[in-house]
Amino acid sequence: MYRAGTFISGESFVHRLDARLKLAAVVSLSVFIIWAKPLTILFMGGCLFCAVLSAKITLRTLGQAIKPLLFFIVLIFLAHALFSRNDGSFPGISASGMREGFVVTWRFLLLITAALLLTMTTMPAQIIAALKYFLRPLKHLRVPVDDIVVMIMLALRMMPFLLWQKDKIEKAQLARAYDWRRSSLKRRVGAFLSLIIALLLGLFRRADELALAMEARNYARGERSSFVVLKMKPADYRTAFVFAVMLLIFMALNYYLR
Amino acid sequence: MISLNNVHYRYEPEGIAALRGVSLEIKDGEYVALIGPNGCGKTTLIRHLNALLLPDKGSVEINGLDTKIAKHHTEIRSCVGMVFQNPDNQIIGMTVEEDVAFGPENLRLPAAKIKKRVAESLQRAGINDLATRNIENLSGGEKRLVAIAGVLAMNPRYIALDEPTAFLDPAAAARVLETMDNLHRAGVGIIHVTHKMEQAALAERVVVLNKGAVYLDATAAKVFAETKLLQQINLRLPQITQMLLKLKKSGLPVRTDIFDPDEAADYIGQLIKKK
Repeated sequence: MYRAGTFISGESFVHRLDARLKLAAVVSLSVFIIWAKPLTILFMGGCLFCAVLSAKITLRTLGQAIKPLLFFIVLIFLAHALFSRNDGSFPGISASGMREGFVVTWRFLLLITAALLLTMTTMPAQIIAALKYFLRPLKHLRVPVDDIVVMIMLALRMMPFLLWQKDKIEKAQLARAYDWRRSSLKRRVGAFLSLIIALLLGLFRRADELALAMEARNYARGERSSFVVLKMKPADYRTAFVFAVMLLIFMALNYYLR
Repeated sequence: MISLNNVHYRYEPEGIAALRGVSLEIKDGEYVALIGPNGCGKTTLIRHLNALLLPDKGSVEINGLDTKIAKHHTEIRSCVGMVFQNPDNQIIGMTVEEDVAFGPENLRLPAAKIKKRVAESLQRAGINDLATRNIENLSGGEKRLVAIAGVLAMNPRYIALDEPTAFLDPAAAARVLETMDNLHRAGVGIIHVTHKMEQAALAERVVVLNKGAVYLDATAAKVFAETKLLQQINLRLPQITQMLLKLKKSGLPVRTDIFDPDEAADYIGQLIKKK
């Protein structure tokens, strides 16, 4: 079972691309996905789909990664389908509402797919190195870039722990015959609060130990070196050129299409 | 050499003393097991070796460097590596090589040197096949080995391990112990905190702590010969020793300083043949 956001090792063309190029592509694509007209993002979806296939990521894996967000996707669709009516009356299903729902959901799915394509095909260390590269100019403004990068790294590391800890606490509650699904609202709120408190306590304890472990391995605030060396290869330049041309085509499409 | 001189430590000024006048010397390349009942100060003691804790009174010196002097900390922490009890609380990277590189990155080594160190450390820990694996997909035993590799990347002369086989199945525990043994053979000093007497018996020297002070300090054979003293602080003997002692009690003239099951089996077999 694939867990969303984790790297899948591979030797595909997309895997081999420079992390900076992939990060820049995802950011620019995301801006465009939000801004572009519906028909344009339909074409963009097709191109993104080809990129996913060329990265040798199966639709099943992609589906598994998107599955945890299904609830939000449905919620976004329903919210737009029910409440986006041009005639001012709501709630109710209308053709324009449905259309709006589909478009927003499609945008959201493309954004997720683009981000997943980056995390699935790029090692976290490379993403971090790429991020550090783009944030580097901020060093001139005395922004502690190295510390920010370590914080992002730790936040990424803590995510699976939080999910695991949440599961563990829920199972502990179930083991003591407490099922929140069958409880009153008041008890649910109580259970939720105790879950949050337990989660925070666990998180603080772990953060404390992790800080000690970092200190033991000579971590100190300030500049660090990196074992990841990012170097643009001829294939990266070619891809960057093709990507730029495609973006221009999308822009032209966006201009001429309704 | 690691040298602790009359070390005292309290976590809180008015709290119970975690260490009370501990004096100890650990030579280069020595394999020392640290045992004792819960709360006796084992973890507190090894955290002093890495300058994570500083003594309230007394001193800790690592190769002549006093841990109380902050400018020595980088060198001290490169010299004495620390493997924590829970690898999940120690591993910082998302992938194995990313985590192993964390220490050398902190030392600001150039990328080529870091890569070399990462490859060497993974090789020494016997996990070079895991290099690009995601940490979340590793077993408990593999995570321990990653934690050891992360420490090895700092090129330490000593490694202090806090219960490195806790919560592991026998096969994974054996793999971790084998790695520790290989490192010891390669000249790395090992300070092994454990509750498992069979594992303590593998060390060249066993230090027993009780109530924050050194209770016994000798070879495994000598320490486990002190049955009454160990019973007084609720420590049990290795199972092999218990069996040999029972045989001796029943009138058989057997040695009781054997801790390896295979060696004990050979020895008893020879005794039976002689009879």
